[in-house]
Amino acid sequence: MRYTVRSGLVIVTFLWALGPAQIIAQERSSPSTGSNPIVSTERPPKITLRVATWASAEEFELEQRMAERFMQLYPEITVEHESIPSSYREKILAAYAAGTVPDVFLLDSPIIPALMNRGLLVNLSPYEPQTGIDPDDYYEAVRAVFLNNGELLAFPKDFTPLLIYYNRALFRKANLPYPSEDWTWDDFLSAAKALTLDEDGDGKPDQFGSAFDNKLYLWQPWIWTNGGDLFAPDGTTTKGVLTSEKTLEAFQFLVDLRVKHGVTPPMVGVGNSRGGAIQGTVGMFYGGRLAMMPSGRWAYVRMRPYLQSGDLDVGVAPLPSRFKGQKSNVIYAAGWSVSKSSPHREWAVRLAAFLSSEEAQLIRAESPIGIPSLKKVAAIQASNDPFGIEQVFMEEAAFGRQSWGTKIDDFSRIEYILESALDRTLFGNEPLPVVMEKASQEIDQLIATNAAQSKDFAPLSGNSQIMGFLYWGCLLVLIGVGASIVSVRRKHRYELTTGLSFITPSFVVLFVFVLIPLVFSLYLSFHQWDIISSNKPFVGTSNFEALLSDAQFWKAISNTFIYTLHVPIGMVISLGIALLLSKNTRGMAFWRMIFFLPSVSSMVAIAMVWQWMYHPEFGLVNYGLRFFGLPPGTWLTDPKTALISLMIVNIWISIGYQMVIFLAGLKGIPSTYYDAARVDGANWWHQFVHITLPLLRPTTLFILVTSVISSFQVFTLVFIMTEGGPLDATEVVVHNIYRNAYDFLQMGYASAMAWILFLIVGAITWLQFRITRKRVTYS
Amino acid sequence: MLIPFIWMVSTSLMSEVEVYQFPPRLFPKEIKWSNYTGALTMLPFGRFFLNTFLVTTIAVLGQLITCSMAAYAFARLRFKGRDGLFALFMSTMMVPSIVTLIPAYLIVATFGWMNSYWALFTPILTSVWGIFLLRQFFLTIPTSYEEAARLEGASEWTVYWKVILPLSRPALATLAVFAFMNTWKDFLWPLLVTSKNDMRTLEVGIAMFSSLQGTNWPFQMAAAVVVLLPILILFMATQRYFIEGISLSGIKS
Repeated sequence: MRYTVRSGLVIVTFLWALGPAQIIAQERSSPSTGSNPIVSTERPPKITLRVATWASAEEFELEQRMAERFMQLYPEITVEHESIPSSYREKILAAYAAGTVPDVFLLDSPIIPALMNRGLLVNLSPYEPQTGIDPDDYYEAVRAVFLNNGELLAFPKDFTPLLIYYNRALFRKANLPYPSEDWTWDDFLSAAKALTLDEDGDGKPDQFGSAFDNKLYLWQPWIWTNGGDLFAPDGTTTKGVLTSEKTLEAFQFLVDLRVKHGVTPPMVGVGNSRGGAIQGTVGMFYGGRLAMMPSGRWAYVRMRPYLQSGDLDVGVAPLPSRFKGQKSNVIYAAGWSVSKSSPHREWAVRLAAFLSSEEAQLIRAESPIGIPSLKKVAAIQASNDPFGIEQVFMEEAAFGRQSWGTKIDDFSRIEYILESALDRTLFGNEPLPVVMEKASQEIDQLIATNAAQSKDFAPLSGNSQIMGFLYWGCLLVLIGVGASIVSVRRKHRYELTTGLSFITPSFVVLFVFVLIPLVFSLYLSFHQWDIISSNKPFVGTSNFEALLSDAQFWKAISNTFIYTLHVPIGMVISLGIALLLSKNTRGMAFWRMIFFLPSVSSMVAIAMVWQWMYHPEFGLVNYGLRFFGLPPGTWLTDPKTALISLMIVNIWISIGYQMVIFLAGLKGIPSTYYDAARVDGANWWHQFVHITLPLLRPTTLFILVTSVISSFQVFTLVFIMTEGGPLDATEVVVHNIYRNAYDFLQMGYASAMAWILFLIVGAITWLQFRITRKRVTYS
Repeated sequence: MLIPFIWMVSTSLMSEVEVYQFPPRLFPKEIKWSNYTGALTMLPFGRFFLNTFLVTTIAVLGQLITCSMAAYAFARLRFKGRDGLFALFMSTMMVPSIVTLIPAYLIVATFGWMNSYWALFTPILTSVWGIFLLRQFFLTIPTSYEEAARLEGASEWTVYWKVILPLSRPALATLAVFAFMNTWKDFLWPLLVTSKNDMRTLEVGIAMFSSLQGTNWPFQMAAAVVVLLPILILFMATQRYFIEGISLSGIKS
């Protein structure tokens, strides 16, 4: 009867894992939703409010102080301040999916329309009188960003227009006057030309007049300054607007900066938006290699120390306009929103209002990171700025208009379509009118599809669906285990229960945290899900059908296959290094550490260093090539070489991992075999071929299988270094999945992609096992 | 090999103004140790360290036990459905975690585990990578040892505990190092399941020196170097196990 005890144990372990969950799930099932629209003047009940921001370490203390100040005003309320320094979007999305949304959270453009259209945000305008907020105190253009059909969706925090930062020292050196307030495109271009210099005389410029990063948020206002636009005023179509003469003229002007005039640096990586790649636009500007940099107020935060130390002499000028006096600009803003799911709505609104109030904005102005949305505080902040930069930004607010990103749903995808289109001109030399015509059709189709979709969004529920999967899954497993125990012949039962009991601990963990999520994603792949609402309409196989004609997905698949070719090359190198370092002599520990270092170094540091090494003009790699008289490469800046460049980086990173496993494998080979071989007079090569390689086979198979799997799942490297560009040359499957899931909010479609990838990787792994198994029996 | 690491260390000792020299410089003009004290006191790094250490220790111990048990079953025991189960285990490695992230988050949230150590270590109490690693290793151990033990009437548990595990120190050390490294450096999952600073881990703390306004490179790299040190120390300390190998000659039957 031993096996019954064992299978009993299996079941008990299972229930143990799920027991507490059930109790907690019941406790949480009934949140009450307060819906009183009027803020009460009574004392609040004893509650806790959660507020989420993307505050960095430096801002954290300030925001914390504000939370404490609010708690002084309302001692009954506890404010929990949650800082989400990166992956903010993923975190908010996940919170929506699970129904754990903070009561108050900071919002900026890209996700506003999605939440707005689904009715997930509290309309704050009725609360304005009670909370002592006077709309007239705010910049009108900034408040307008959060207004939708008379509903106010956030109390404004801060904002920025776009300006041109210029290096005054470089202007003086070139005997150029500083840009005037009403300068034009022609002025801008001639200044940029005069500031593009080849100082070392190698025929290639090493100082550039300006920069052009293919980011919609950077070039959007340039189109407006020419009187062009992306969408018709009501935002329902791009037809005739995106392809209008004025819009195309603006695009052409920007593209020509690089293609025709060569006054902007070749694009290195795309990391500029991710906190500033050092060798990107920001780095070149700080290093005095870039005379003008179009950017927002955010860049000033880290630039201020340079001005204070005198290392940089910088001024800011408005964006140039096409014709004198035809000014336009954009307003990007952040504000405090209240989630409709908050059970303490009135107090959450109070908190949001407080965070946007003069008192809070004055605290923030002590170490400013944005332009305060209150005119009064902005003026105070500007008067405290010894460099006069705040003043110019502030004045520009008058010309600002709302970005399309805060009005149109699914804008991340539109952004992607437009940037890809521009890439085709920048890197592929396709004519602008053609690519924009295509983009226009694609966008209009997208808008039409989205408009046709149901706008009834189910209110948030605690998402108990996944628990259903868990319980049914448990039941199935238990039945399966029971049935197989019963069906097995009595003499094999002991073997079976022993085997299962060895596996059970791992299985329970995998079951709950991997297998169930996996099955859930299979379920999702037949549905449509935007993560933020609980609607999951069944769509049959249409996700998979759409995949068949998704050219980008297949491009990503083929890129991923090509990328994976680096695995065997890397393994040969790693094995070589492992063989060299397997001797037990002094100093080897040091060398092993050296080769191990890249695999533990911060990924960001690795990306930084390699982007610098690959820099076409200043990079170490090209320097080395030139030194040996070889032609320099284009590396990350060219669609033809970008993927290979990433493969090289990954070989370099993986050496540490592969070397350690090879070392452990090599040491697992009993030395008696080598002794015997030596007695037989076998030389080094014979020993390697007839002992090391065959006996290392399980290790080699392990490294091959795991490296191929992780190569098929490459993500971080692409995410940090290239974002899939240029021209989709480095777009890989998981990056594509990420884009669709978290940027385009198509979790169902992304799950379908993941399952295709899963099947491909599964087949390849099976093949690897098959091939090696054959060889083992052969030998 | 060394350049990114050197870059990390030297950036961590630079003033902010020096970071963006172009072309970049590898060594600071003046060494600023104050970046270290500044970075480590700006956030509760002591608490981050404690959290990370606790979670990592539990995860490493958990993986050593669960992975070696499962690997033993897959490599050494014969039972119905073994290969099918192994294939099932392996298949979980092939799904990009980006897709299972949200469902796993939903499960943890429904369990009410947000902001708790449970959410941080439970999902990583086992690792298929580790099971696969140990299985491959166990396959290379000659069967003669356990046959001898079985003849003396040892149970499967005794063979696992007394024969296989002692023979597998290099593989177990490898697993420990990588389990430690992966848990120590994990970012997205801890970020998702924690919201209070006193539950956060080191890697999340490092990320807090970046924001939409740019990155405080000296502070971020100072913190990153400090966080990296335990991994390097562990690697130095355990690498003799990789090297030592198994003295098979010592346990001849």
